[in-house]
Amino acid sequence: MSPGTQGTLVLLVTLVVLLSGAPVAFGLGAISIAFVLFFQGFDALHVVAETFYAGLNDFTLVSIPMFVMMGAAIGSSPAGKDLYEALDRWLYRLPGGLVISNLGACALFAALTGSSPACCAAIGKMGIPEMRSRGYPDDIATGSICAGGTLGILIPPSITFILYGIATETSIGRLFLAGVLPGIMLTGLFMLWTLFIIWKRGFRAHAPDFRYTWKQKFGSIPKVAPFLAIVIGVMYVLYGGVATPSEAAGVGAALCVVMAMVIYRMWRPRQWWKILRDTTRESVMILMIIAAAVLFGYMLTSLYLTQTLAQGIADMHVNRWVLMGMINVFLLVCGFFIPPAAIILMTAPILYPIIKAAGFDPVWFGVILTINMEIGLIHPPVGLNIYIVSAIAPDVPVTRIMWGTIPYVLCMMLQIVLLCIFPEIATWLPDHLMGAVH
Amino acid sequence: MHPGDPLRPRSIVARGNAIDRFVRRVRRISTLCGFVAAALIAAGVVVVCEMVFVRYVLNMNTIWQTDFVTYCLIAATFVGSPFVLMTRGHVNVDVLPHYAGPGARRWLAIFASALTIGFCVVIAVLTFAFWKEAWDNKWVSDTMWRARLWIPYAAMPIGLGLLTLQSVADLLALLTGREPPFGITKERTA
Repeated sequence: MSPGTQGTLVLLVTLVVLLSGAPVAFGLGAISIAFVLFFQGFDALHVVAETFYAGLNDFTLVSIPMFVMMGAAIGSSPAGKDLYEALDRWLYRLPGGLVISNLGACALFAALTGSSPACCAAIGKMGIPEMRSRGYPDDIATGSICAGGTLGILIPPSITFILYGIATETSIGRLFLAGVLPGIMLTGLFMLWTLFIIWKRGFRAHAPDFRYTWKQKFGSIPKVAPFLAIVIGVMYVLYGGVATPSEAAGVGAALCVVMAMVIYRMWRPRQWWKILRDTTRESVMILMIIAAAVLFGYMLTSLYLTQTLAQGIADMHVNRWVLMGMINVFLLVCGFFIPPAAIILMTAPILYPIIKAAGFDPVWFGVILTINMEIGLIHPPVGLNIYIVSAIAPDVPVTRIMWGTIPYVLCMMLQIVLLCIFPEIATWLPDHLMGAVH
Repeated sequence: MHPGDPLRPRSIVARGNAIDRFVRRVRRISTLCGFVAAALIAAGVVVVCEMVFVRYVLNMNTIWQTDFVTYCLIAATFVGSPFVLMTRGHVNVDVLPHYAGPGARRWLAIFASALTIGFCVVIAVLTFAFWKEAWDNKWVSDTMWRARLWIPYAAMPIGLGLLTLQSVADLLALLTGREPPFGITKERTA
């Protein structure tokens, strides 16, 4: 059987298995074993267990549960509420100030937790009822939170970047830095769009006739400042070359748990178990997919499918920007159905040689890939954030939330175009702080 | 993953039936696995902090810590897997199950469950053989610690064996109508 036919067969079977609703990790593992057995025979199976184990035997992977635990500790404390209140009390008198504080809180909370669903749930619980009670239209109130939540995987520290870094052997520190400016720009784009649309609909948001006292304005800051300080400290340690991502994240996780205990008095074993349980569930899920994706990657490589695909695309001699367009469409379509972690682990090793051969910067591409994943988070039919927001505001029809997210999808597409025209938006900060790699 | 997923699956009604007893026992074991995995991750965090202290504050060499933390997380992944399966934490692509009718959804769930069991059985057997090889040949790690590899390798057959049990319990609960397919109890309103 030619590699082309084999490749088509693998693609079809993978699609069928994933769409059946089987857990991604076990589906990928089953496909890999089946094809190794089918094409290479029984003897080839002896490497399966070793490959499965080797996929996880890497100290860099330790950073994943550590960052997840940082997010879980902050996410299960009322830090999101305090962050939201702090921003609202400072910005409430500005026209559209509530939108700015919501999206700003999303961006900051994203930096703290690195998780889109957690960000959406934490800020949405306060933000959506508040916006609706102050008369903001439902689609704007829900859509902006859905979109703001996606910033969690772009603004560092981000699990998505860690996974991409591991899958392509790209510097995780460099990727984190590359996400900073696009993250801030995207937050700005979301804010501009929201301010424009509420202004266009004749909505002049002004605060009611009351003022917060200075005491109230400063009241929440001492509670959230330590968490921000920890995350900034982790980043500083990472870029100072003092410690590896795993070490920095490990200490950061321990500090966040201690802070949650001290500031929010989370002493009860039940609260500790919640942090540990959430960390275990998310980490085990991601690590299991990593092990299965390494097995899947081994199967693709041993059947020469990755190499054949990369060669086939190189032989097509298409313009590199047409190629980038095609890759973006491919990622967008994947993002509609498949969760980000699985897409990155499955496609990054396949796309990486293609990207390198076409002369694109892998760090820059990591940012493009992540924004594509963000779109998938708020785009039907999967759009995880839509369903989280729907659970917060059950009386708003899901279709109305979906329509509310469309302008933000367009903002993200605009950001991808801007990144293609000005790649420096992503590459300037890492090049400036860590030196260019050429 | 469905956002509204219960972290604790609905408790099986306490009937004296053999299937009920089996499902209940497997779930207890899987919950215990969750505790063990959480403890392993917590141990990992503590050891990372100790390592940072020894390396950067005391300026001393670290020997066992890197390996120990990596093994802890590998063990947490395999041993924690049955707990994550029980609480529906292993992500899946749930587009078809959500939009399919009840009959088709049930068949999809049976297919997905059978596939999971098939994978678990095969990988459990393969990892057991791998563990046995490490045990028989007294393999040690090629790092400074020279750890006996059968210890971290043992997490694979143990975790994946228990994962097989949990997936069989899930399939039984599905086939006998004790659990709805994919845990979906109501139609999605769009």
